[in-house]
Amino acid sequence: MVRRSVALLRGAAASGLSQTLSEILVCPLSKQPLRVCNKTGSLVSDEIGVSFPIKDGIPCLVPKDGKILEDDDNNVALRSGSPDDPSSTNMV
Amino acid sequence: MGRRVRGIISIYQIYRSSIDINQYTRIYLSLPFPRPRWMKSHRSMASIQIPLPLSFGRLPASPRHPRRLRQPVRCAAEERQALFNRIAPLYDNLNDLLSLGQHRVWKRMSVSWSGAKVGDRVLDLCCGSGDLAFLLSEKVGSDGKVFGLDFSKEQLLIASSRQHLHVKRHFSNIEWVEGDAINLPFPDSFFDAITMGYGLRNVVDRERALMEMVRVLKSGSKVSILDFNKSTQPMPSSFRDWMIDNVVVPVASSYGLGKEYEYLKSSINEYLTGPELEKLALQAGFSNAAHYKIGGGIMGNLVAVR
Repeated sequence: MVRRSVALLRGAAASGLSQTLSEILVCPLSKQPLRVCNKTGSLVSDEIGVSFPIKDGIPCLVPKDGKILEDDDNNVALRSGSPDDPSSTNMV
Repeated sequence: MGRRVRGIISIYQIYRSSIDINQYTRIYLSLPFPRPRWMKSHRSMASIQIPLPLSFGRLPASPRHPRRLRQPVRCAAEERQALFNRIAPLYDNLNDLLSLGQHRVWKRMSVSWSGAKVGDRVLDLCCGSGDLAFLLSEKVGSDGKVFGLDFSKEQLLIASSRQHLHVKRHFSNIEWVEGDAINLPFPDSFFDAITMGYGLRNVVDRERALMEMVRVLKSGSKVSILDFNKSTQPMPSSFRDWMIDNVVVPVASSYGLGKEYEYLKSSINEYLTGPELEKLALQAGFSNAAHYKIGGGIMGNLVAVR
């Protein structure tokens, strides 16, 4: 349990995004929770298949800046669950 | 090319020390030809000193290297962006100059009207370089949380660097988000108060922005929207137009911001009057709305209850 929460904190920190923001922010279009993806340092909206970048710790959630995730192998990591699965958020 | 003078200054940078009244801006030029004698030199760079057309107190120095030269920028696009990054604080200082410092009072009033208190979770829309967010931060204290949202990344970076300049104060309760006021990335019924300073006038779809505010506000909470007051009476309107043409634009032009401030006149004319704003807020879903004129009628603050 401690390892998971530490991993969560590291996950949020790796992307440069604060823990608070990673838990609170929702997709500006679908209003559903976002998933932090460490590999690309972005916030992913699984509902609509769009990723939003994080730059200098500031999430860019302007709809026109969202990147549509394409169905190819390169984005498997983005689409599949990462260690930062939302279901494990309530560890603290 | 050899010794041939290329003739064009390829890169330049603006060195900005803390600027006081009657001081100067020193421009450092990296020249591709030998420095003429009339130019003073500072280390390896030639420099010329030009008086500021108008000074208005201290501008914040660079947050990382307060008194050192900035690195020269390479291409025109990056140069312009870096320049706008540096002059973003000028907007606040021009506000100081043009409102004779009154904008600080109006912003404090707007924060009071929002009903934000200790421990609250609040949102500052179109936060820009963070004026209202910093006031809210003091109001909500370390148990509260402030979210500053703006469309412009450059303004947010300025706000973020201002936040880190004042480490002694509890500005650590502020988070910055780049986003669109008509598509807010926050859950429903999330905030205890919202403020918006000089932003609604610039939003294309104002009703949609108000509807988003209704969605993210908790029931019974307020939004406080400060902006210019569009007066229907001819006297205040013509005085304001005269001020913009003969004071605002010339001052802004001396800093290369003439065009940006020329839009102000038409922008205010396209805005809504107090009663129109009240009606729009009720249409968007607020239960109550009242518009207050302040600053002798030049400014107006809309207060709407969710």
